Amino acid sequence: MEAFDYILSISKVVLILVGVIQVVPIMIYVERKVAALIQDRPGPNRVGPLGLFQPIADAVKFLFKEDPIPLNTNRFLYTLAPFLSLLPACLVIAALPIADKAILFGREIYIQITDLDVSLIYILAIGSLGVYGILFGGWASNNKYSLIGSLRSASQMVSYELPLGLAVVGTVMVYGTFSLREMVLQQEGTFLGFLPNWGIFYQPLGFLVFLVASFAETNRLPFDLPETEAELVAGFHTEYGSMKFATFFMAEYMNLATMAGLMTVMYFGGWHLPWVKDSQLLEWLGSQNLLCIVQIITYIVKVAFFLFLYVLIRWTLPRFRFDQLMELSWGSLIPLGLINILLSAVIMYFTGGKV
Amino acid sequence: MKEAAFAFFSLFTLLTAAGVVLSRGVVYSAFNLVLSLFGLAILYLLWGASFISMIQILIYAGAIVVLFVFVVMLLNLEKPQDIAPPWIRGILTGVSVWGLCFILLRVFSRSFGEMPSVEPQKASVRMISQLLFSQYLWPFEILTVFLLALIVGIYMLARPERETPHESP
Repeated sequence: MEAFDYILSISKVVLILVGVIQVVPIMIYVERKVAALIQDRPGPNRVGPLGLFQPIADAVKFLFKEDPIPLNTNRFLYTLAPFLSLLPACLVIAALPIADKAILFGREIYIQITDLDVSLIYILAIGSLGVYGILFGGWASNNKYSLIGSLRSASQMVSYELPLGLAVVGTVMVYGTFSLREMVLQQEGTFLGFLPNWGIFYQPLGFLVFLVASFAETNRLPFDLPETEAELVAGFHTEYGSMKFATFFMAEYMNLATMAGLMTVMYFGGWHLPWVKDSQLLEWLGSQNLLCIVQIITYIVKVAFFLFLYVLIRWTLPRFRFDQLMELSWGSLIPLGLINILLSAVIMYFTGGKV
Repeated sequence: MKEAAFAFFSLFTLLTAAGVVLSRGVVYSAFNLVLSLFGLAILYLLWGASFISMIQILIYAGAIVVLFVFVVMLLNLEKPQDIAPPWIRGILTGVSVWGLCFILLRVFSRSFGEMPSVEPQKASVRMISQLLFSQYLWPFEILTVFLLALIVGIYMLARPERETPHESP
């Protein structure tokens, strides 16, 4: 490693992290606008044209609000908890491949912070640490609602990690690698002559299980039992205000972005345009850097689609009951995940390693 | 650079492990346990065992300790209850701790002498699975059946005595 490599790594980390954090204000705006659309009201429309500066106003409000620490809380864990949930959300971004490579200063630069040979397990593992922020936050608040919310969250996230892991196993079997970059590289071109060569056509059942489990992992409606406002006030973040609350919020949206990115990478071809091969595209565009920009835009469009799906589902479906939630995981998703693995194995055996 | 990272995370793992035992509150103990397991995972990573490292975080820090914390918070243990007079506790603790130290020292002093030093090599997922599905297939399969038997046994112990009538809303 020489100085250039260090500078490169640091600038990649900063650029990609800052880029992904932009999801938060955009999502706040989109979420409020879509909610308004579905509920037949105008939504934010006072700050700036079409209310576009609303996220900035929200951020300023959060920053300048009083930051109270309630009495009889555990001050250390209470303060630490929001960051315990934000930190894993930021860390997992390191493994997401955003585009193939750019050529800058006469070097090939991969548009991914780091390509681990176990990046898929890395994302699942670090992502599973996010539950501690919620757990300790709820416990340290010294509030029954918060405690119940965080206990619900813990049992929910542990239950839904299993179907998530099982769904991922199918994908790993098809591509034979844990490296997300290699996974995307294998999803180029067409499948059966007329479909894009994307993971979803190899693993439709796995995708379904992954999609449902990802909603539960990110504590989104219809699985937002940890913060049901009707019964638990606001769940684990009842006692949090100002920027601490906003930090929990940021973590939630960044987890969403990671899940959307993971689905794009595993099931929807990552940075590849459907049907088109990168080599053909390179011929048309004539420059590797231009291709890289096209790839980044493709990736962002796909992620945005999934984020929009999350918002749409949040405002259209009612919430599960807690026993239904557990039943869905242990009774349907885990068996479906296991069946998916079995089916994939059988099909791969008869087709000689290819699905 | 690598040595410095290794030294730092070794110290981190040891200090947090001590924190597990020395902390006053049970929740602090659990928090230290998470940090300690995380530190251990980073040590694995520095040894080149990335797969084991990630599994360590996924299974231990991500799932098992979550359940520990879950139980601790549910029970809300503030003060440990005295189950015996102090002198009995002192004697029992002393005997068990020194006994454990003695056994561990005997085991380690015997095995360290014979162990050849090997160059650490990068253990990829492929290598591990090849070993698991060829050389260690039978132990692996027997372990899985054993774990399945454990799950069934736990279910038998924990299930309700009789089916509670289903309440319809």
